[in-house]
Amino acid sequence: MYIPITVDHIARVEGKGGIEIIMGDEGVKEVKLNIIEGPRFFEAITIGKKLEEALAVYPRICSFCSAAHKLTALEAAEKAVGFTPREEIQALREVLYIGDMIESHALHLYLLVLPDYLGYSNPLSMIDEYKKEIEIALKLKNLGSWMMDVLGSRAIHQENAILGGFGKLPDKTTLEEMKGKLKEALPLAEYTFELFAKLKQYKEVEGPIIHMAVKPRGDVYGIYGDYIKVSDGFEFPVEEYKKHIVERVVEHSFAKHSFYNGERPFMVGAISRIANNAELLYGRAKELYSQYRDLLQPTNPFANNLAQALELVYFIERAIDLIDETLAKWPIRPKDEVEIRDGRGVSFTEAPRGLLVYTLEIKDGRVAYADIITPTAMNLAMMEHHVRMMAEKHSNDEPEQLKLLAEMVVRAYDPCISCSVHVARL
Amino acid sequence: MTGKIRIGFYALTSCYGCQLQFAMMDEIIQLLNKANIECWFMVDRDSDEDREVDIAFIEGSVSTEEEVELVKKVREKAKIVIAVGSCAVHGGVQSWANDKKLEELWKTVYGDAKVKFQPKMAEPVEKYIKVDYKLYGCPPEKKDFLYALGTFLVGSWPEDIDYPVCLECRLKGNPCILIEKGEPCLGPVTVAGCDARCPSYGIACIGCRGAIGYDVAWFDSLARTFKEKGLTKEEILERMKIFNAHNPKLEEMVNKIFEEGE
Repeated sequence: MYIPITVDHIARVEGKGGIEIIMGDEGVKEVKLNIIEGPRFFEAITIGKKLEEALAVYPRICSFCSAAHKLTALEAAEKAVGFTPREEIQALREVLYIGDMIESHALHLYLLVLPDYLGYSNPLSMIDEYKKEIEIALKLKNLGSWMMDVLGSRAIHQENAILGGFGKLPDKTTLEEMKGKLKEALPLAEYTFELFAKLKQYKEVEGPIIHMAVKPRGDVYGIYGDYIKVSDGFEFPVEEYKKHIVERVVEHSFAKHSFYNGERPFMVGAISRIANNAELLYGRAKELYSQYRDLLQPTNPFANNLAQALELVYFIERAIDLIDETLAKWPIRPKDEVEIRDGRGVSFTEAPRGLLVYTLEIKDGRVAYADIITPTAMNLAMMEHHVRMMAEKHSNDEPEQLKLLAEMVVRAYDPCISCSVHVARL
Repeated sequence: MTGKIRIGFYALTSCYGCQLQFAMMDEIIQLLNKANIECWFMVDRDSDEDREVDIAFIEGSVSTEEEVELVKKVREKAKIVIAVGSCAVHGGVQSWANDKKLEELWKTVYGDAKVKFQPKMAEPVEKYIKVDYKLYGCPPEKKDFLYALGTFLVGSWPEDIDYPVCLECRLKGNPCILIEKGEPCLGPVTVAGCDARCPSYGIACIGCRGAIGYDVAWFDSLARTFKEKGLTKEEILERMKIFNAHNPKLEEMVNKIFEEGE
C-alpha cells in the first residue's frame, strides 16, 4: 500500500493545478497533472458574437499573456478578413508583444522560480537578503508593464490594439523615452542571465525532447511566423497545424493534451525557440548564446529558465531596433479602415510560454468558428513526462522533497494553467 | 486593526489578472510589512486555505462544485470578504454565454469526453456567500486595491463608487464616442474608477467594471440611444452582457424599450 504523493495546488504558477504521483511495486506507477481550474469555454461563448467584441474578450483567457492573446487573435482576424497591417503598425505591435515578454519572463524568473533555488516559500520574504534581485525584478517588470500601458492602454487586458492598428498611438517623445528605458534595462537583463546561468539544471530530467517554434518572419529571431519548425527537421505551414498537432481530452484535466503527429509529446517555450532558431539571434544575445551554449541544452526543461533570461537580453535590443524603425517613418497613422468580410485566418505566435494559435472564421461580421490552443495545453503531456522522470529518480526521497522537485519541473515550464483551460474544440 | 493583518488571496476560475495586478504593485512591499500572508498560492508555497484571516480577497467566478465549497470555507475563516474583479463580482466574461446551457457549451468544446471534476455555469461569488466589499474591474485598478486596503488598515470602511465612467470621460474632455462617433459605448452605465481608460484611447467602453449599483444603471435610456443608432435588441443585449450577464435588471429594462415602439 503506497500513499500517493500529492500537491493539491501547485504554488507560484498562473492558475490552479495539482500533481499526483502514484507509486507501485516497480516504482512510479502514474503521474498526473490535475488541471482543476474551472473551464471557461472561450471558443464556445464567442461563437456567434460580433468580431470586435470577441476580440475584446479573448485576452481575458490569461492575464500573464493578455497581450499575446490579443495580438494573436487580431492577426487571425485580420488574416480572415484579408487585411494586412502596415509595416510600422506591425513593428509597434511587436514592441507591445515584447512588453508582455519582458514582464512575463522577469516575473517568472525572479518571483516564481528563484525562491525555490534560494530556499524561500515566496519572493516577498527574500527582500531583506536579496534586495538587488527584487529591485531588478521590479524594474524589468515595470518596464514591460509600462510598454503595455503606453501601447496597449494597460498592462493587463489591453484594449488599445484593434482591427487595423491602434486606437491611439503614443507621441514621438514617449517612444524615445521608451527607447531610453530599454537601454537602461539592458545591463539588468544581462545580470539576470548571469544569475540564472549559475542555477542547477537537474540532469535527472535530461533526454531527447521534440521542440516546436515558429519559423520567424524576416529571418530575425522573433514572435511572428507563417511556418512551424519542428526540431526533427520538419516544417509545416501554420494553416496545416491540425494535421500535426492533435489534441485529446484526458480524464484528470479540464485542459486537453497535445501530441505531435498523433502520438508524441512535444515542448514549446523559450528553450524551444532557442533550440530551433538560435542562429537567428543577433547582438549581445548572440554573443551570450555562443558563450553559454552548453547550459542552453534543448534536452533539459530546466534550460527553459536560462533561455528566458537570454530572451530578456535579446528582446530588449530587438524592441530598441523596432522603435528606431518606427521613428524613422514618423509621423504614422494609428489605423486603417478594415472591411469585415467572410473568411478564415490562422495565426501562430510565440507567447512568452511558447506557441499560441488562434483560428478564427468570420461570417457576417461574427465569429463562426474559433479554435485556440495555448502553450501550456501543448506542453502538458511533456510536462507530465518530465515530472515522471524526476519522480522516478527521487522515488526514495522524503515526500516533501519530492513534491518540491516535481513542482520545480512544472515551474520551469512556466505554465499558464488558466490559459490552458479555456479549451479548444475537438 | 492592531498588529499584523492576516490576508488571504483565493482563486476561483479566472485569468489570475486581479492577483497579478495586486502582486505587481510596488507598494505591496510596504504593505506587507503590516501583513501576514496566510494563503496566496500564486506567490507563496507555504499557503493554506484552512487558516483564519482578517481579509480574504477572492478572485474568479464560481465554476466548479469544488469552488462552491472553497468560497463557503473562506467565508467561515475570514472577517472581511472582498470579491475582487469582474469574475468574482459579476461572473466574468465566462458568463457571457449564460443564455446557452452548460451541456451545450461542454459538447462544443469537449464533445462526449468526461472529466473527473464537476463543472458549473460561471456565477458571481455573492450567489453563494455574503460579500462585504467589491473591487470592480477586469482587472481592478491599482488605486482600487490601495484605497480599500488603506481604509481597512486605519479601521475604516471604503465607499462604493456610484457614478459612471461617463463622468470621468467628460471631466477629461474626451470627445464622446457614443454621441459623436455613434459607437456602442457603455460608459454611461459602467462603474467609474478607471479614469475613462478606453474612451481616452478612442475605444468604446465595453463595461468591464460592471454596471453601477443602487439601481441607477439606466440600461433603458442607453438602450434607447443604441436603438436610435440602429442596433437591434440582440446586439444591445449581447454588448451589455459581456460583463453584466447576471444583472437582474438588464433584460427587463432593455425589453421595455423594444416593446414601447411596437
